[in-house]
Amino acid sequence: MSELKADEEIDLTGVPCPQNAARALLRLETMETGELLRIVIDDGEPIEQVPNSVTEEGHALRRRDQLGDGRWVLFIEVA
Amino acid sequence: MTIYLDNAATTRPDPAVVAVIVAAMRASHGNASSVHGSGVRAAMALERARATISARLGCRSDELVFTSGGTESNNLALKGVAARQAARGGGRIVTTRIEHPSVARPVEWLGEQGFEPEFLQVDDRGFVDPDDLRKALRRKTAIVSIAQGNGEVGTIQAIAELGAICRAAGALFHVDASQSYTKVPVDVDAGSVDLLTISAHKIHGPLGVGALYFRRGVALDPLLHGGGHEGGLRSGSSNVPGIAGFGKAVEIAGDAGVAEMARLRDRFIGEVRERISGVLLNGPTGEHRLCNNINLCIDGVEGRTLQADLSRRGIAISTGSACSSTVRTPSEVLTAMGLDEQKAHTAVRITLSKWTTEAELDQALAAIEETVERERGR
Repeated sequence: MSELKADEEIDLTGVPCPQNAARALLRLETMETGELLRIVIDDGEPIEQVPNSVTEEGHALRRRDQLGDGRWVLFIEVA
Repeated sequence: MTIYLDNAATTRPDPAVVAVIVAAMRASHGNASSVHGSGVRAAMALERARATISARLGCRSDELVFTSGGTESNNLALKGVAARQAARGGGRIVTTRIEHPSVARPVEWLGEQGFEPEFLQVDDRGFVDPDDLRKALRRKTAIVSIAQGNGEVGTIQAIAELGAICRAAGALFHVDASQSYTKVPVDVDAGSVDLLTISAHKIHGPLGVGALYFRRGVALDPLLHGGGHEGGLRSGSSNVPGIAGFGKAVEIAGDAGVAEMARLRDRFIGEVRERISGVLLNGPTGEHRLCNNINLCIDGVEGRTLQADLSRRGIAISTGSACSSTVRTPSEVLTAMGLDEQKAHTAVRITLSKWTTEAELDQALAAIEETVERERGR
């Protein structure tokens, strides 16, 4: 799997739904089309909801990886 | 058309704020706790406002809890901290004799719950003596609460100095910035401020919305228990349109028109003293006074008579803080500053906004002159 290089990062650990998705989308609004945002979110409801929320707005989920501590890393490409 | 000179009570919402509120009611009508698209859009409106306000305060976005206004923020700060301290055997709570009732009454109530309240004296211009605070903090104190700018007489306290004293003594420092926010700089780090109250409707935002800044690590219990909104500190479905409007009000506040309001304030004070005899300015002058505050005692004229007379002419002023202006007891603030009851009853408060004009103030002054002449001629 090729390495993805994020243009920006946001750590949403501990931020509940749907605030985490809202903060991710607000950050994506400030970025250019084609740029990559790296998002760290918790396991459980966040990994079930956040990818849906950002892709519903047209952004593309490029990759998702689970970290050793259970959290998830998402790479989102700005629409 | 009303000449509105009661902007310490509340300000007229800016049209840009109203537009954001209407748009939020139409487009972001979801519950900001729901995870579907409507909920996420509502949450975005909420988080956009949180980001704007926390950036201006210089704090992290998770150090801000939205409330229903200044009264709730003040209650949350005091009772929220006290609830945590109660388990450790209570303690002292220090405030001043000129605080807004939403600080004074909770402190008195906490006194009934086993805490030990202390109300610091102020001088004749409304200033707290830092040495008095230092002395009060020789005994272990849970929290100190002092307003940055007094709503009745406009006194601006030396928050950085008072905060440093609290920090050195290990007491939490809460600042009620309801009247001063956007008008007086506040740096929550430089001021050693642990908790800070702000309110939307004092800065051309909507009524019913406020926020409390709380430094990360400050332990608070909520006033409202329920669904765990706002990080568990304020349950209840969020007032998304109001909060979005609050964010817009902060976004467009800029320098709040401070220099022009201060110029108009000083011009009015100069004119009123020149044209009417027996005028006493309550509170300090210059940079130590809120830019929009004028508080005067006029010999021989009851404040409520003047207020009612001007109201009949379409000019809105007040006789004190809005919350106490219907009560016939003299202002606690003015009597704490040394005025006797009779003198305190002659006080009127005239407060400006970014929209106040010279012409409006000239009209108000002419009306005041007429009322004073009539009352003194009786």
